Amino acid sequence: MSEPDDTRLMERCSNGDRQAFETLLARYEKPVFNAAYRMLNSPDDARDVTQTVFLKVFEHLDQYDPKYRFFSWIYRITLNESINWLKKTNRLDALEGDTADTASGPEQEASNQQLSEGMQAALMTISPDYRAVVILKHLLGCSYQEISEVLEIPEKTVKSRLYTARQLLQETLTERGLH
Amino acid sequence: MTIDPKYFELIQADIDGQINDAEKTKLENFLADSEEGRAVYEELETLCRSLDGMPSIEPPPHLRHVLLNEAPVKTAPRPTPGLLQRLFSGPALGYAGMFVAGVALTLALVDSDQISRGAFDEVTGLVGTIADSQFVVPEHGTISVDESEVAGTVTLRSAGPILIVDFDLSARQPVEIVAEYSDKTIWFNGFAQLESSGTSIAAETGAIKLNMDGKRRYAVYLNNPGMRPATIDLQFMADDRVIHEAQLSFSEAD
Repeated sequence: MSEPDDTRLMERCSNGDRQAFETLLARYEKPVFNAAYRMLNSPDDARDVTQTVFLKVFEHLDQYDPKYRFFSWIYRITLNESINWLKKTNRLDALEGDTADTASGPEQEASNQQLSEGMQAALMTISPDYRAVVILKHLLGCSYQEISEVLEIPEKTVKSRLYTARQLLQETLTERGLH
Repeated sequence: MTIDPKYFELIQADIDGQINDAEKTKLENFLADSEEGRAVYEELETLCRSLDGMPSIEPPPHLRHVLLNEAPVKTAPRPTPGLLQRLFSGPALGYAGMFVAGVALTLALVDSDQISRGAFDEVTGLVGTIADSQFVVPEHGTISVDESEVAGTVTLRSAGPILIVDFDLSARQPVEIVAEYSDKTIWFNGFAQLESSGTSIAAETGAIKLNMDGKRRYAVYLNNPGMRPATIDLQFMADDRVIHEAQLSFSEAD
């Protein structure tokens, strides 16, 4: 995380610097898209949420407080927008046995590919709050303190959510014979 | 499970790399004496490795261009604009300006028997429909292109007898697009470009051919005098081979 650079880029964006905008986009497009994809389990929905996130960021440039780190701001918007999307599409509840994108692949498919798909399916069975901490930790590489900053919850809550989320994932994967 | 919950926390903290020296020693002592603790540690570590190993997905190639195109980056304050700047400051007027340039380019490039010059006045009013959402015209469908050579969308809209084919594409190399319309009574009526130039167009009976490279937003206007159902077959080509095919349809019911 290179927060001083991000802050400078945000300042330049506020002054209408398109190059700075492109740099921020290049830096955060992929993590934002991936976080949304893991929250929603749909590349099309992830694309739409990514668009909304960047539009929100750049519409509210003047509301960004440089004493907070940019990544925590944009990741918070991403997770909130993903949860809003789930609400809008009535998919907020954890999906029992959601296998939409996870049907067993061809036999020749590598086992790690199956595990990865199984993991995504398992992620969809836990609630969005638990999913969010797992995504921040394992996909975006955030520390407990950074997760706490993004989600605006105490570190202790981060640890307990992470622990419960992992337990639930473990159980689901074991039930499905993937772990 | 008979493990004290505080050790679960230490196991997790260790695997997450967030444990201090004192806690680490405490955990090591515990694990040395607890087979169950070691099993829990191993299970959690395996799970975390699997989670860390989840592959990163590449965003669609055209997403960045879409974002660059749409993001309302604020511009720095400028000195008082001149009369011409003020006149062309609105999006619809800006687009109209580009339309005029597009028409000029079109006139230079297309076969003249395909153009009804009088019709340009009629279509000029439609130009803003793409740029400004307050002008609502029916949308009949959008196709997405997601190839390594070209990516983006093509949308078919209509306003009375005018069919508007709105191209929002980004090409990594020169791409030729052939749009064939099923009804030969449809004729080419105009061409407008937004935020870009350099797209060339050639019209012939029943089809138009476009050549483009880079990020391009443009619209082709077709006149469908009978407002009859019609299809437009799109063929995208690069390096003399077809890389993508799609169809857009207009029906009276739309």
